[in-house]
Amino acid sequence: MGKDGFSKCHPAVNFLFFVGAIVFGVLFQHPAYLLAGLLCAGAYYLLLCGQKALKSMAMMLPLFLIIAAINPLFNTRGEHILFHLFGRPYTQEALGYGFAVGSILVITLLWFGCYNRVMTEDKFTALFGNLMPALSLLLVMVFRLIPALLYKSKQITDARRCIGKSGENLTFRQKISSGMTVLLALAGWSLESGILTADSMRCRGYGTARRTNFQVYRLHLSDWVLLAALALTAAVTVCGAAVGATEAAYVPVFTAAPVSVFLPVYCIFLLIPTIIHIKEVVLCRIFISKI
Amino acid sequence: MPHIHIQDLTFAYPGANAPALQDINLTIKQGEYIAICGKSGSGKTTLLRHLKSVLTPHGERTGQILLGDTPLAQVPPIEQACKIGYVMQNPAEQIVTDKVWHELAFGLESVGCDRETMRSRVGEMACYFGIGDWFHKDVATLSGGQQQLLNLASVMAMQPDVLILDEPTSQLDPLAASDFLNTVRKINLELGTTVIITEHRLEDILPAVDRVVVMERGRIIEEDLPKNAAGHLWERQDPMFAAMPTSAQVFYRSSGKGESPLTVREGRTWLENTLPTALKCTQLPNSETGEKTPAALQLKDIWFRYERNSQDVLRGAELAVSGRTIHAIVGGNGAGKSTLLKAVCGSARPYRGAVSIFGKKVSHYKGNSLFANCLAMLPQDPKSLFVKDSVSEDMQEVCQDENRLKEVAVLCQIDALLDRHPYDLSGGEQQRVALAKVLLTDPKLLLLDEPTKGMDCFFKEAFAEILCKLKEQGITVVIVSHDVEFCAKYADFVSMVFDGQVLTTQTPRQFFGGNSFYTTAANRMSRSFFQNAVTPDDVVALFRENSEGM
Repeated sequence: MGKDGFSKCHPAVNFLFFVGAIVFGVLFQHPAYLLAGLLCAGAYYLLLCGQKALKSMAMMLPLFLIIAAINPLFNTRGEHILFHLFGRPYTQEALGYGFAVGSILVITLLWFGCYNRVMTEDKFTALFGNLMPALSLLLVMVFRLIPALLYKSKQITDARRCIGKSGENLTFRQKISSGMTVLLALAGWSLESGILTADSMRCRGYGTARRTNFQVYRLHLSDWVLLAALALTAAVTVCGAAVGATEAAYVPVFTAAPVSVFLPVYCIFLLIPTIIHIKEVVLCRIFISKI
Repeated sequence: MPHIHIQDLTFAYPGANAPALQDINLTIKQGEYIAICGKSGSGKTTLLRHLKSVLTPHGERTGQILLGDTPLAQVPPIEQACKIGYVMQNPAEQIVTDKVWHELAFGLESVGCDRETMRSRVGEMACYFGIGDWFHKDVATLSGGQQQLLNLASVMAMQPDVLILDEPTSQLDPLAASDFLNTVRKINLELGTTVIITEHRLEDILPAVDRVVVMERGRIIEEDLPKNAAGHLWERQDPMFAAMPTSAQVFYRSSGKGESPLTVREGRTWLENTLPTALKCTQLPNSETGEKTPAALQLKDIWFRYERNSQDVLRGAELAVSGRTIHAIVGGNGAGKSTLLKAVCGSARPYRGAVSIFGKKVSHYKGNSLFANCLAMLPQDPKSLFVKDSVSEDMQEVCQDENRLKEVAVLCQIDALLDRHPYDLSGGEQQRVALAKVLLTDPKLLLLDEPTKGMDCFFKEAFAEILCKLKEQGITVVIVSHDVEFCAKYADFVSMVFDGQVLTTQTPRQFFGGNSFYTTAANRMSRSFFQNAVTPDDVVALFRENSEGM
């Protein structure tokens, strides 16, 4: 399966969406909004990750239930007492609040799961490279450093194994010292290659002028449209939050603002990636059927 | 109009007694393609580094370098960055960023190029170098050859007037190397970029260059057209002659008259015109295998894959290496050569089949006993064996016996380097120090993974000498290599690996004599006349035999 449609959009679109989705997800406590968040995040996560999503979602369910069940143990306020545990009341309202907190956590987890899939490192640096060119280059080099270190340390241990210095059959003390030797060798080697990289950077004019930033991603018309749609729906949702449409209180008495026009707008905001994904799949099918 | 003008350049590193460069005078015209050759340590790299201010080493210096009419030091750094492109040896270490597209743009970003220009330049370069297919890839997933091509492309994206290449292909396999050099040639011909290159593989580049500069101990000792250079070196019996293309070597050593051939084609034409039509002798005796020695290493029906769901890398590989021989394993990239070695030393465990070393199954060697006085492997990158601050400390890590240490140091010709830091040594020296370290474990079976990578022809000869001595001492040597010339010259047996299987095991003369493409330059040049001449020595010997009494 190819990349999903939303991932193909400009990083700015991706980033704006995830900032909105996660901030709203954390702030809104209204049950209707929470339910909308759960459904939309779950749907997109499923589309993105397929089979694997089911597995990780199955892991989230017990987490959700445990958080919900634990909350009343600490929070005893509420009108309807279900039963007494350890001599403390276990209330219906507190349980409800537990479910709300659990949902918030799961929604955040789901959105971050999607974020990791969609906003790859290069997208992030492409987006922020213009604002902080030095920092973004640093990040890129750090990202590259870690796999290089792992690769080199594997080479060193393999090479040492073949001259009978494997680190197996050693006492704990010897193991520590053998590990230190590898670590020192790794440090030396990395510094050495660091010097070469620095030479290569200076050769290509690093530090001779103010850095600019190359963009592989261009803002197409469709990206502008999406940005506008996201901004509009997000703005409406913010207005809704400002007038209190997303407010709810669980303890001591459950009160929630009436469901209004703001809820469908919020849903539209959250569903944008899902809609784009499905649109892409459908279009793809149609185009392929023409071949 | 001179483009780069080096006038009376003399340079000494701080604390060194002899200057690294002495009285260098060189004028390079716009669009020229110049090869600089010389032994390791003759000052090639030091000279090249002087052509770029940011890389110029510290030390005492007299004389000057002009770029156009301006002294190089006065050319602003940003202009130098754009006008002078520089590519070094190690492909991976030169890469700065994590994505191919980002690497292509790195130089342009550094000099503050605007986005539109950058976009078109990067696209243009990706096209020119055929990078389009891997434009979005992670640099870590590329092969060495692709990485080096990327380094070249990202330098070319800045549209330099001069391209300086410091042994760019020394870490590449022959196929990738000739690909790279062809691209350099194309750049020189099509874009008119001046190219200054140092290289070990003169076979490939000498026919293409305009001028050869030979250096020795910091001096230029020869500067001429390629077709004359070999002759001059032959006349003065210079050791650099051994680095010349095979056809030129055969030509002079058979005392040929007229203009020297440089390519295989020219060499063949020359042989055709000089040799008598009726040949007395077209074959050299196939070296007798001698008495059968018991097998030092035996692989039986080895199957291996890296992951459960991946493809088989080795599929039923069978190999028998007889004791006290030098056995070469050759084959293309990804044929499974290195994996075969890994299977022997246990870094890759075959899921089917058995590896026996000296008649005993590997699994029956308990603990570290396999690597104690029995088997040792020299890894591809010698740096992975260096863990201490000096060569002697590094060797003491394996063996504390001073006498033994001396003995091995003398054998590997590193006794003069014992106090140096391993990283300060040249590639060939590092390779020999690593070999010494491996030898200190007293192996009876020695595995070498691409040992001649990055070595010049003198180091190769010295290295081969060591291997022959080891063989005399009763050690079995298994070499995995791309270097067909080296294998043809020094191996007793050659095995070809293809598609995860060992296809044939023959003597070099049988093996390379029977191949038409995967063989040495000497064989390609002489195959229509002689049946099994695989080294320049072979061709010269047969040539003499046939032209006697003419």
